[in-house]
Amino acid sequence: MDKSLRVWVESEAGRCVYCGFCEPVCPTLYPGGHRGYGPRGRVNIALNLVEGGKPTEEVLKSIYSCLLCGACNLVCPAKIDIVSVIRVFRALMWRTKTY
Amino acid sequence: MLDPLQIVRVVEENMKAHGLPFPAPREALYSWAKPLKMPDRGSPMLYTGGLYQITPYIMSVVDSLSKFEDLKLISVALKASRLLSTLGLSGLVVRPRADTVSYVENILRSIVELLRKAGVNVAYGYEDDLYSGVLLYDLGLDELFKEHAVKVYKALKSREAKTIITVDPHTTHIMRSVYPKYVEGYDLEVKSYLEVLAEAGLKTEQQNGGDVVIHDPCLYARFEGVIGQPRFLLQKSGFKVLEPRRSGRMTYCCGGPIEGLAPKMAKTIAKTRLSELSEKHGVIVTLCPICYANLKSVSDDKVKVEDIALLLGGREL
Amino acid sequence: MARRVSEDLIRLLSRDKVIDDPDIVRLYAREPSGISSEALAVVFPENVRDVSKIASYAYKNNVPVYPQGSTTDLVGGAVPEPSGIIVSFERMNKIVNVNILDSTVDVEVGVRLGDLNVELAKHGYMFPIDPASVNIATVGGAINSGAGGLRGAKYGTMRDWVLRLTIVLPDETGTIMNVGCRTTKCRQGYDLVRLIVGSEGTLALVAEATLKIAPLPETMATALAFFPTLENLFEAYREIKSSGVQPLIMEFMDHETAKLAGEASKSPINVEGHMLLVSVDCNFEAVERIESWLRGVMEKNGAVKVYTSKTIEGAEPLFTIRRSLFPAQVAIASELYPGRKKIVFMDDIAVPPSKILEAVKVIKSVSEEKGLKVSIGGHIGDGNLHPSVAFPLDDDTIKKKVLEWEFEISKIAVELGGTVSAEHGIGLRKKEFLRMEMEKLGSVKALEIMKGVKKIFDPKGILNPGKVV
Repeated sequence: MDKSLRVWVESEAGRCVYCGFCEPVCPTLYPGGHRGYGPRGRVNIALNLVEGGKPTEEVLKSIYSCLLCGACNLVCPAKIDIVSVIRVFRALMWRTKTY
Repeated sequence: MLDPLQIVRVVEENMKAHGLPFPAPREALYSWAKPLKMPDRGSPMLYTGGLYQITPYIMSVVDSLSKFEDLKLISVALKASRLLSTLGLSGLVVRPRADTVSYVENILRSIVELLRKAGVNVAYGYEDDLYSGVLLYDLGLDELFKEHAVKVYKALKSREAKTIITVDPHTTHIMRSVYPKYVEGYDLEVKSYLEVLAEAGLKTEQQNGGDVVIHDPCLYARFEGVIGQPRFLLQKSGFKVLEPRRSGRMTYCCGGPIEGLAPKMAKTIAKTRLSELSEKHGVIVTLCPICYANLKSVSDDKVKVEDIALLLGGREL
Repeated sequence: MARRVSEDLIRLLSRDKVIDDPDIVRLYAREPSGISSEALAVVFPENVRDVSKIASYAYKNNVPVYPQGSTTDLVGGAVPEPSGIIVSFERMNKIVNVNILDSTVDVEVGVRLGDLNVELAKHGYMFPIDPASVNIATVGGAINSGAGGLRGAKYGTMRDWVLRLTIVLPDETGTIMNVGCRTTKCRQGYDLVRLIVGSEGTLALVAEATLKIAPLPETMATALAFFPTLENLFEAYREIKSSGVQPLIMEFMDHETAKLAGEASKSPINVEGHMLLVSVDCNFEAVERIESWLRGVMEKNGAVKVYTSKTIEGAEPLFTIRRSLFPAQVAIASELYPGRKKIVFMDDIAVPPSKILEAVKVIKSVSEEKGLKVSIGGHIGDGNLHPSVAFPLDDDTIKKKVLEWEFEISKIAVELGGTVSAEHGIGLRKKEFLRMEMEKLGSVKALEIMKGVKKIFDPKGILNPGKVV
């Protein structure tokens, strides 16, 4: 099950073309203070770390500060289900206890 | 921001111990319902999922956690969360504010009365009105969530529910769009009370309710298609509904979902949203307890935040 | 090295203004052009003094510095190669002062163009430069890339709208300098403002700007028309351009691209040919006349279907297909190469408007020869075309073909009297294109002059090294 979830995150997040259209609608980007607090950052963190590895403090903050509000899902040109990518990535991190 | 993994652990331990994500007495979930004398089984069944009722407790927990965040003493916060977690099991008392408790209980009573007036007499599960597990799902505690969801489903079935009427966007979404993926054979029909009231046609009492600006909650607006109903109901009750710059599907989150993990950030987001809303008008109507709590916590006396159920139920502005 | 630099920067600024977590730094070392790299640290200046400290530090320590806005760059203009410090201006996002009487706005460069327009709209004004990325793009990014956009037909590009800049030089002290005037008319010796605009962060770090602003139009007449042939479309285009009216927007998409964009956006409009979209801003009294004139021109020249609008809001549905150009390209890429990492390669050339038909035709034939699926759209009011293709990152054969195709198209643009980059910039990717253009113009010397200018501003060559020249 974990493997199929990993594959799913990889293929979903892998569609990101890095255009950044998701960033202006994200409520956490400005208060967060860096790109890791926006959807483009989170999706690519998930993509970069889905195969495992110990997440750093900033990575944890990035992933767990997502509101799952879904504003980014609406504006993504690649139609990535960003909310699900982040939620599933949380589940994977928790389950494999990579921390 | 607090250590997210510690907070997840607190939620996990609390859930395992007493079925709620934060320490709160079980009867807080259903004691409000007793005077209404709803039948304790049947369909449609009102299912609150407990979110309104635990909101005052969450607010208290967040309040104490954010003190640690202010001090920037991550290690202190860490210890505190451990404390919360271990003591929480043996009955750490999180004292909610009495006024918020009675506010949310009035909301729930108003919902039942509105449904009755619309000709919908609901049953209620009392001890089986369990927490929906929304936070477990959001935090990615999938196994625990699945386990809990099955329990909730069985409890509702044991009370002969076929259709459940939900009262907040998070519970509506999880019961309608998430449970079917986790609970085998799931067959409950799920409707938000706003959908039910809009379908039944609300009996109006007020002629001129005044102006209100509407704050769409993300899950209703973006995931469950509940956008027109609250507007229709408010207009029918004599209110003039004003739209903020970002509304409907393009609404802007109140910041509430991360109030337990990043209280400061949640407040910053709430302030941004509050000023956008109050630019249009001083009375803001919310459809969700999390939105209510978070917007309310940053508002001053120039701005009024009110839950839609109270406005529809005839509360004067 | 990375560790020492970030420790120094933390001491110089403060802990919360420096990010050295490699997983976060990585997010800044990549851009939509598909080029990625590595950086030592990301710093977040909060005022011009911070910028000055960074510039001085980089100079003294010979560390490359890469200014960044929101990294929507398509030409490799923001890639930190060789490794260095990324300066992200995202926290310098204050709109300092809107002055309606002067028709100016003072901003820090991290303000997003979309946010700027929300603020200006409260005063009945707008900032007219609107690249497709307008909601994401920052003022600083737009200045450095010399951005344009849909309204370019009437309002030109960034170089026409920047009055004054506060810049920081990479020298011993991190010199802070104000160049340009608050007035439209300004003869302050050589025009350093226009030298900085479009310089892609290679000459100075731009920290603050005074921009011109324009009143929001009262209303506008819009016509969206579909033509059976490119010739028909071009005749309508010629007639509108020759009529003495200055359209606000003139957009083109070829039939197939418009069709895909229509599908991607779920637009109810049926795409029945090559698409021409024209808006003319005007006052309420004139809108009916202009609307029916536009319709008449389109129909007379063989449009099979024309949709029109007399209001700004009413025009919104007519813009949906055009706005979906980029999503359509992403969708095409996903369809062509499912499950693979890919790049949507959007080119950016300009030709004199009189040559636009020829340009479109040659691009089509070159693409067919190469067997590439190309979509063509663009701001044809000013002769700016964005032919684009997608390719998977892991396929070197297609990649090579795409690069050859792009070079070919750039050559055509120059031969038709145009240029290799209209509004995206040169970056890493178009350096040899620029050389080719100057060679064809018999002006290679210009490149030497540019290099000389770079040396005066940035003697150690540490500002966004390797870009432009």
